[in-house]
Order: sequence, then structure tokens, then C-alpha cells
Amino acid sequence: MKPLAKTVAALVVGAIAVSGCSSSSSKGTSASTGNAGASSAPAQGASSASSTGGAASGGPVVQLTIWTGFTGSDGPSYQALVSQFNSTHPNIHVTMDIQPWASLAQKLPQAWATGTGPDIATPSSDPGSIFNYISTNEVVPLDPAVGTGANQINSGSFPSSVTNAFTVDGKLYAVPANMATLVLYYNKTLFSKAGISSPPTTQADFIADAKKLTSGGNYGLTLADNQTIQMWPILQWMNGGDIVDAKGCATVQQAASVQALTTWSDLVNKDHISPIGQTGAQSDTLFSAGKAAMEINGPWAAGTFRTAGIDLGIAQVPVGSAGAVTLLSTVPMMVAKSSKHQQAAEQFLAWYTGQTAQLAFAQKSGFPPVRTDMASATYTNPDVSIFASALPTGKLYLAGQPKATQIDSDVYVPFIQKIERGADVQSAANSAAQAINQLTGCKS
Amino acid sequence: MVITTTRHEIAAPPRSRKRRRLRWNPAYAFIAPSILIIGVFIAEPIVQSAWMSLHTWSIGSAHHPFVGFANYTALWHDSRFWNALRVTCVYTVTVGLGQLVCGLALALRLQRTRWYTALLRTAFFFPFIASLVVTGIVWQFLLDPQIGLVDGWLHKVGLGTPNWLQSTSLALPTLIVVGIWKNLGFAMIVLLAGIQTVPDVLHEAARLDGASALQRLRYVTLPALRPAILFTAVLATINGLQLFDLSYVMTNGGPLFHTESLVMYLYQRGFVDFKLGNATAISMVLFVIILAVSLIQLRLFRYRDDD
Repeated sequence: MKPLAKTVAALVVGAIAVSGCSSSSSKGTSASTGNAGASSAPAQGASSASSTGGAASGGPVVQLTIWTGFTGSDGPSYQALVSQFNSTHPNIHVTMDIQPWASLAQKLPQAWATGTGPDIATPSSDPGSIFNYISTNEVVPLDPAVGTGANQINSGSFPSSVTNAFTVDGKLYAVPANMATLVLYYNKTLFSKAGISSPPTTQADFIADAKKLTSGGNYGLTLADNQTIQMWPILQWMNGGDIVDAKGCATVQQAASVQALTTWSDLVNKDHISPIGQTGAQSDTLFSAGKAAMEINGPWAAGTFRTAGIDLGIAQVPVGSAGAVTLLSTVPMMVAKSSKHQQAAEQFLAWYTGQTAQLAFAQKSGFPPVRTDMASATYTNPDVSIFASALPTGKLYLAGQPKATQIDSDVYVPFIQKIERGADVQSAANSAAQAINQLTGCKS
Repeated sequence: MVITTTRHEIAAPPRSRKRRRLRWNPAYAFIAPSILIIGVFIAEPIVQSAWMSLHTWSIGSAHHPFVGFANYTALWHDSRFWNALRVTCVYTVTVGLGQLVCGLALALRLQRTRWYTALLRTAFFFPFIASLVVTGIVWQFLLDPQIGLVDGWLHKVGLGTPNWLQSTSLALPTLIVVGIWKNLGFAMIVLLAGIQTVPDVLHEAARLDGASALQRLRYVTLPALRPAILFTAVLATINGLQLFDLSYVMTNGGPLFHTESLVMYLYQRGFVDFKLGNATAISMVLFVIILAVSLIQLRLFRYRDDD
């Protein structure tokens, strides 16, 4: 028995060792292909070919690093932009490092505080996150680079809501890395099975369709309440309700908001149109699996859904009593104070938000361009016009609130989770309003 | 002359004596590396955390004003802190007891070393060495009401399919069950080693005296297991009080903070809200709690070597 046991043990150990080696090497290969995709071959300093935005030709190549969280199907579009910049700017070389938003949020503050961080970063998909980095003094204002010149950031071309969201104390701290509105994705197969010929356009239709499509183990509308681009605020806005006003005082407890939330929380709690407690990723997965008929989501998800084989329909968010409204989502891109190449970084931001780059980006990703002066451009990607046409009705979630991230995680998300489980909406809203006022310092 | 000298030596110890060269105790050289590592990586961070907890400390800000015990009084009035403390204590006590009882039962059952008991022991021990994060993710999938195995089986049998991790009443019990499942292997192995050291003569003597199996367990096995039980209990308590990975991965603090442990709250305050003053205050409180509980346990379970 003993020699046999030894042989078996040796084989097992060998198998484990071999599997350990192979998994680490495959990780290595995928990491290297990722980097190869991001960077083109560094060009020589003294290039004779003229480039559109080059600074001093000759001299060493400036190396810039960007950290972003675009792990979705829109990731290649950003990489393509970076490659385009690298090929047209021989003396600046940009490397984009893409990682999940959660790990980016963990690594970035420490990296910037210790000076080992990237030159440019998109700290979070939430525009309210810029306040954390401004207050800890880790980013530079971009006003010196703002202007209408060739290498300058034309902030006048951004929608005013975006510029306002990124301006703190009169200084512009970020440019939009992308800009998108949430739309209603629907599963055409599930719709035709339920006998509904077209997506809902009014709130009443929306509610009726959601109820009708919740059958046979499928959900009518999948809603996420944490770690997501927020969908619940849209349901409030449709009815004229809101969460905070411009002064930072809570409005979530007012009648319009409570009415909307009661309707929808009853739908979730009693009619089970959606699972509760989902993260954004879980909600997307549910829709991709064909188990939910509708989801409110942004342009980044279209590619994932189509790859999953969903017969995808895209429509505008249904119109409620307050008129057409949807959530505007924009990702801030900021320059680090610890960056040694602030000018080159600002040059990249200027090129990125320029017309050439935005046209290419829109064509490839389906996102609308971040500029308002490109309405006459024609796009081969049919999604762009759907996403772009809702821009005028887009509202930012917790716009301009310095404590936006804390309001979201400590007050709004628990509030939604409570009412999803059947808590009384008015009393939950009252305590949420109290907590919000405490955070924002509103005296009322 | 000789006699006087000898008497003098024996009678009175010389007052002023030339100082002897200090003998260098080589033991210090052997423990120096350990002391260095413990000092740099354990003692110094503890001291620095205590220092930071007395200030308002935000990552990256230029000034860190001294606020004395303000962070601690803020904790005293913070209901989320008390909730986290309650969750952590409930988890620690139930998982500690659960893994002891289950581990003991398994150890007693799998005492004799046969091929099948060896296999079962390995199977029960394996969860202990699996990574906490991997365990959490796998269990999250198993418990998923849409695609999970657990609800799938329950559905087939005709029972209800509760949403285990999203229910405010079921989330913490589910976490506790996963915690017990993960740790009982370690308790089983330690207690098994203890059981196997009990000399057979004691069992024989008890049997001759007419003791039943239960009485033998109570009067022979358990007293002999006291050191092993103490070891397992102290480790289980320390691990339980530091609950983070499982609850972070499976429920991220759970439906409405029902599975938010102290370390999770600390993480939220320190690395999401960047308020290190608050976070280090929580960590100091946790440190004192673990210290107190460990000391109590060591005192309660103390044993003499001849037990």
C-alpha cells in the first residue's frame, strides 16, 4: 500500500503544480495582449511627418498613463482613441490601463497620494466622485488649458449640465470621458411572446407592460439598486419628484416623489416585476440571460446584450406626467497633481474632446459625442441617434452635491432597499430626508 | 591568613566590586529578527493607528487636527457601529460554537483511521484551506434564486425558494452556516488529534466501571480535550471577530446592513469615505474587544499540564 500511496501523492502534487503553472502563464499572456492592444509602437522623437497636435517635435517621448474603468463592451472604443492619439502625436505616448471600477476606486486614492498613480484617470463612473479627489487635493484645475485654440479644451462645447457638474468653486476640474443617457432596452422575443407589439411610451403603458411581462419565471423590468448607474431616480423624475434640490435640501419626501416610489415599490414588492437587491452587474446579467423583458441602461450595455444573443430593441424611457426625462451619465476624466507631464496630459484631454476624436468615438461605440456642436455630423452607427436624441432631457443624479457618493451609499441605496421590501414609503422617505439634510448641512 | 580570607569571602559579599563585563546573552540575537518584524509590521502600525484615531485624518489632506476622543464619542452615538458590533458578535458566537460542536461530532465519528474516514476527513477539511473570496463567490452562485443549485433543488422538491442573501431575516443565518461549513474542518482536525492522545487505558477503565458511551465522553474525553478546545475556541473567536471577506463578497454588508461586520464598517469609513480617524477608532475598539475576549477565554479554560 505504501509505495502506491506515495505514487498517487506524487501524481496529485504534480497535477496541482502543472495546473498552477498553466493558469499563471495564461494570466500573463492575457495581460500582455491587453497592453499590446493599448499601446502602439513608440514613435521616434524627431519625426518628419507632421502631426495635427504635436508639441515640440524632437526630444524625448512623453509617456502618459491613464487609468479607466471601461471594462464593458465599449472598452475597445477608448483603446482605439488612444491608439489614434499615439499615431498622430509622435512625441506623446499614452497607455490606457483598464480595470474594474471597484478596484480602480480602491487603488487610485493611495496611488495618487503616494505619487505612484497615473497622469490621467477616470476615478469613477459617478460624476459626484470628483469632490473626493478635489478635497484631498490630488487633481489640478484645467482652466489654464481651456480655450478655443487647437490644443485647448473647448469647455463651451460641452452641455452646460456637464460643465456645471465638473466645475467646483469656479474651476473646471474634469472633462467628460463619455456622456450618455439611459434608455429603455427591451427584449423583442419576450415582447412578442406576451403579445405586445411596441415598447411602452407612456408611464401607464410602462407599468402595464411590466406587469404583463412578469410571467413564467421571467421579470418584466429588472431594476438594480446598488453598485450601479442609478435607475430608480428616473422613476421619481417621471412623476416630477426628485431627491435633492439645488441648495442641497432633500425633496425625496415630497408628494410627487413619494407617489412615484409607492407605485414602483408596490410593483416590485407585490407584483414582483423585478428581483430585489441586485447590483448593476447582476441586473445586466439577468437581462442578457433573457430572463427580463426590459432594463433601463446606458449605451455601454448594447454590445454586451447583442453578444449574448438578445433580440435587442432600444427605445426612449417612457414619458411620465413631468414630461420626457432620463438620467444623464458622464464619466469625469481628471489630471493628477502628482503628474510630471501636466501639459501633455491636458493636451490629450483637449484632443480627446475635440471634434475628430469624438466623431471617431461615436462611430465606434454608439455613444453620442460629448460636444453639442456636432449635431449635423452623420453617423454610420444607428444607435448614436437614439442615444443622442435624449440628451436634452438628461438629468444628473445628485448633481453638484459634494457629498454625493455618501448620500448615495449611506442614504439613497438603503432607502430604496427598504421600500423594495415593503416598508412604508412616506416614513422611510422622511428619515432619508433627515439623513440627507444632515449630510448636506441644509437647515430646514 | 588563608582562613581569614575564606571567612571574609563567605561572611560578607564585597560592596564595591569591579563591574563584571556584561555577558551577552546570545538568545537576544536569535529573537532579534522576529522582534524586528513584529515591531515594524505589527506593533508600529498599532501605535500609529491609535495615534490616528485621536485626530481627524483624511487621506491626502494637508492638516490632521487633534480631536482627542471625539472619534470614540462619535462611535458611541453611531447606530451603524452598534449594528456592526451586534452582527459581528452574533456571527462569532454562533460560528464558534457551531464549528466546535460540529467539529467535535465529526472528530468523534471519524476517530478510527480507515480509508473512508481519511477520505471524509480530507473532504471536511478542504473548505478550511479554500480561499475566503472564492468560497464567498461560489456560495453566492449556489444561493442565487435565479440560477443557484440550492433553490433549484428546493424547487424540485416543492419547497419554497427564498432569496437567501437578500432577505433581511435569512442573510445573517446563511452567512453563519457558510462560516461554520468553512471552519469546522479545522476544529475537527485539532479535536481529532486531542481525542487520539487520550490513552486507551482510561477508556477501558471507564468501560469496566460501567460507564456508557455518553458518560465516557463527558468524563474521559472532554476533560482531556480541554487544551484542544481552548485552542480552537480562541482561534475561532479571533477569526470570527475579524469577519470581512465572506460578508463583503457574498452580501456586501447585506440587505440593509444586516450582515455588515465591524471590519466592513471600518473599511467603508476608512477606504471609501477616506475618514481614517473614524476607521482607526473602530479598529482600536476591535483590538480591545479581541484582547479582552482572548484573556477571558484563556482564564476560563485554563488547565494544568497534568489534566
